[in-house]
Amino acid sequence: MPYNGLMPAVQLFITCLTDSFFPQTGEAVVSILHRLGMDVDFPPDQTCCGQPQFNAGLRRDARAVAEHTIKVFERPPRSLKTLEVLPDIVTPSGSCAHHFRHNYLELFEGDSVWYPRAKALADRTYEFTEYLVDKLGVTDLGAKWDGALTYHPSCHTLRGINVGRQPRALLANVHGATLVDLPNAEECCGFGGVMSVEHPELSAEWLKRKISNLEATQSPTLVVTDAGCLMHIMGGLKRQGKKQRVIHIAEVLNHR
Amino acid sequence: MKTDFFRKRILESINDPTLQTALDNNTERRLKGRDLAFASIPDWRERRIRAHNIRADVIERLDEYLETFIARNEANGVIVHRAKDAREAVGIVLEIVKDMPQSRRERGEDQKNIPVHLRSSVANPVLIAKSKSMVSEEIELNHALEKEGIRVVETDLGEYIVQLRHERPSHIITPAAHLKKEQVAQLFHENLGIPYTDDITELTAAARKVLRNIFLTADIGLSGVNFGAAETGAVCIVTNEGNGRMVTTLPKTHIALMGMERLVPNLDDLALMLSLLPRSATGQKLTVYTQLLHKPMPGQTRHLIILDNGRSRIRASPLKESLYCIRCGACLNACPVFRELGGHAYIGRDKSIAPYPGPIGSVISPGLFGENYVHLAQASSLCGACRDACPVDIDLPKLLTRVRAGQSSSPSGRGARGEGNNGGAGLTWSTKFFLQMYTRLSTQPKLFALSQKFASLTTTLLSPRSGWMRLPAFTGWGYSKDLPRFAGKTFRERIGNRKLGIGTLGNSELVNSSQPQSTNPPTSQSTNLLTDQFTTELTALSGNVHQTENAANTIIEFLISRNIKKIYLQPNVLDDNLLRQANINFTHEPDPQIAVGVTKAWVGLADTGSVLEADEELPGSLLPEVHIVVLKSKDILPSLPDAMPMVKDKNAVFITGPSRTADIEMTLTIGVHGPKELHVFVDVSNSG
Repeated sequence: MPYNGLMPAVQLFITCLTDSFFPQTGEAVVSILHRLGMDVDFPPDQTCCGQPQFNAGLRRDARAVAEHTIKVFERPPRSLKTLEVLPDIVTPSGSCAHHFRHNYLELFEGDSVWYPRAKALADRTYEFTEYLVDKLGVTDLGAKWDGALTYHPSCHTLRGINVGRQPRALLANVHGATLVDLPNAEECCGFGGVMSVEHPELSAEWLKRKISNLEATQSPTLVVTDAGCLMHIMGGLKRQGKKQRVIHIAEVLNHR
Repeated sequence: MKTDFFRKRILESINDPTLQTALDNNTERRLKGRDLAFASIPDWRERRIRAHNIRADVIERLDEYLETFIARNEANGVIVHRAKDAREAVGIVLEIVKDMPQSRRERGEDQKNIPVHLRSSVANPVLIAKSKSMVSEEIELNHALEKEGIRVVETDLGEYIVQLRHERPSHIITPAAHLKKEQVAQLFHENLGIPYTDDITELTAAARKVLRNIFLTADIGLSGVNFGAAETGAVCIVTNEGNGRMVTTLPKTHIALMGMERLVPNLDDLALMLSLLPRSATGQKLTVYTQLLHKPMPGQTRHLIILDNGRSRIRASPLKESLYCIRCGACLNACPVFRELGGHAYIGRDKSIAPYPGPIGSVISPGLFGENYVHLAQASSLCGACRDACPVDIDLPKLLTRVRAGQSSSPSGRGARGEGNNGGAGLTWSTKFFLQMYTRLSTQPKLFALSQKFASLTTTLLSPRSGWMRLPAFTGWGYSKDLPRFAGKTFRERIGNRKLGIGTLGNSELVNSSQPQSTNPPTSQSTNLLTDQFTTELTALSGNVHQTENAANTIIEFLISRNIKKIYLQPNVLDDNLLRQANINFTHEPDPQIAVGVTKAWVGLADTGSVLEADEELPGSLLPEVHIVVLKSKDILPSLPDAMPMVKDKNAVFITGPSRTADIEMTLTIGVHGPKELHVFVDVSNSG
């Protein structure tokens, strides 16, 4: 069905980790946006946002990837030819949203060509739960879940882009779920991108603490807003032979 | 870059159970204390932004503010020196020592009261009593002075402990945060010749006794500076134990050492900073002794040394924002890296311990000292807890990524494309190589998709049965976690060329989210309420408030009930005849033997339980074990900014509770160098 100019549309930035490791998260995102009447465009040339390079201090590399990403998302979706304004970008990662919104501006500061383009991209980027709650005004997706859910606020979602209440509001409306608070929830899980390989000893200590806090809740399921934390905490649980699992919030919200 | 030395040090910290307990303790108590303290100022977010802007303005127009500040100080009779680096600063201190009148050095037998380890080999050395100063650590002043045969004694309890252990402080606020009380007990037993005790109150009392003698006999007092207020030239120094007041007021010479960036424009701005600094540092609404010094004490010489030592370079670099720091240590307490490492594991390539640890240290250490410390910035997950905790909203994660981008080593600013000569500073070569490969893939979508296919195939071969693979530890990732297998079909493959297209439902399901509610703090100004608030606040700090219709009589009754025969009395505070009738002797002269001092407060502060007095009244307010204050209830003001106009050009001190410390195991101990008891007699008669 072609875009008729009436239904709102979004561009999806899937993120490299979700694309490569957790495609089911992406499918849940699309399914939810569809149910809300959104047209979803997936620019096929998207890759990675360049955050690993940026965080490592490799700014030349980070710039190359950022320029690629900006160009890819500047191409109007085929369905949007009649629109003059590019649609919002939604991404199921607080960390990549933070990278678009803050680090791109840092990266292109003082650049008369690229800064305005980076700023335009930053201004239309939303983390998934932020988009649902703040842009669409949705907090109840009619999701159903049987059992306990525990929420881990990812660092870049919570402190990077100040998205804290939105995921909680959405989870509060998951029917049948019991929300159990995670002790010291706001502590980093130790992923930190390159830090988890550059300083694995440090990363391991935080992970241990995060897992023992999760165990204290006796909840079988930890909900996150970021694939980075997901693979890190889940990787730790697997290594330790634990039964709990970590799941992206989109999959919980899409569960009916 | 090879950073094995740093990793080794990290592992040593992680595997030291004593240290880990101490650090957990520090983190938990400090974060809780900070949260509680900030709860009392609901507008803290706005204050934080204001504070950020003030500091930004100061750093922007630093030369102007310094000029005013220096001119005011010189007009106030302070001798101002500027030092461009550590060597110059040390040289200035040595010069001052050399110029000490010979007679002041002749203290003959003083040494016999001093523990053996602190005695000097030189016959009559100059004695310097020192309160906490991070700048002195930065320029390694103690070491330089001791080399010249000058005795320097740290008087902050935590600093004293680490000095006895020949260590650097492990935390900028609590220098002995890494130690347990048993270690301090053993240290004091061996060095102070006291019987072994791990009772923290007894340990503190032992230090008090030794250090009291140091204060009274020191030739020079040396302190840091928390803030300078440009407009009036005020030098602000805050300490909880009272040692700051001792070293700035007792010795005939006082040297204040300050970093050139520590300015605020005026006293109002200072009041704002003081509402944030102690809350962030120790969870207090106001530090016990908050001194504002404008001129030397009578008969005293004051030197002010203003240090650059790389600050101008930072100011001209992309790390400029790090100069906004007010040294509260909150980012250390909030940092999960610091929580594992402690301050002593932040080491340079030359194995030296960085003078400033934690997130701010990982920015300013490479900023001030360059290459030697750049790798420290890689030890961060950029989780942002530091920025959240920062009372002046320094974007520390951003600054850490700038250090990583090599911008600390390119003073002129960014090299080409924002990357300094040392892009990827402190990164291991393998990570760098991998990331550069990843850049190539990420800029070529077809290659990217192909590599995903390849990775999926490889990981499926490696781990055919499980979705999670065990990698060896050397990969970094495999150290403590498994890696997910690459998905057989990536997201992009799953959706294929299929147009995602339009949804099936309209907006009928949407439920509006509720907006958070705003709260307006209630305000109330009446005297009674202010007195009550003052009482509640001071009582919570172990201070005593006595409301009375007749202050003089109530104080005399109190003195009689305690069987006090002699007091230090600030002139014109109590009726001399009443005291004589009650057989209580009094003196207006300083006397270290006197146990009770009576002074008069200019005003009180309701929201912190503080009293404001003349700093010169320390014979009454600092030396005795019991400090009695007379305060009129009508003089109780709501808050710190209301009292600032009274300070203007004076030497003033805000006293907030009895002297205290938490330097041993974060355990609150009352009565360190200053009084153990603070009694405020609030005159509610409203006469006079």
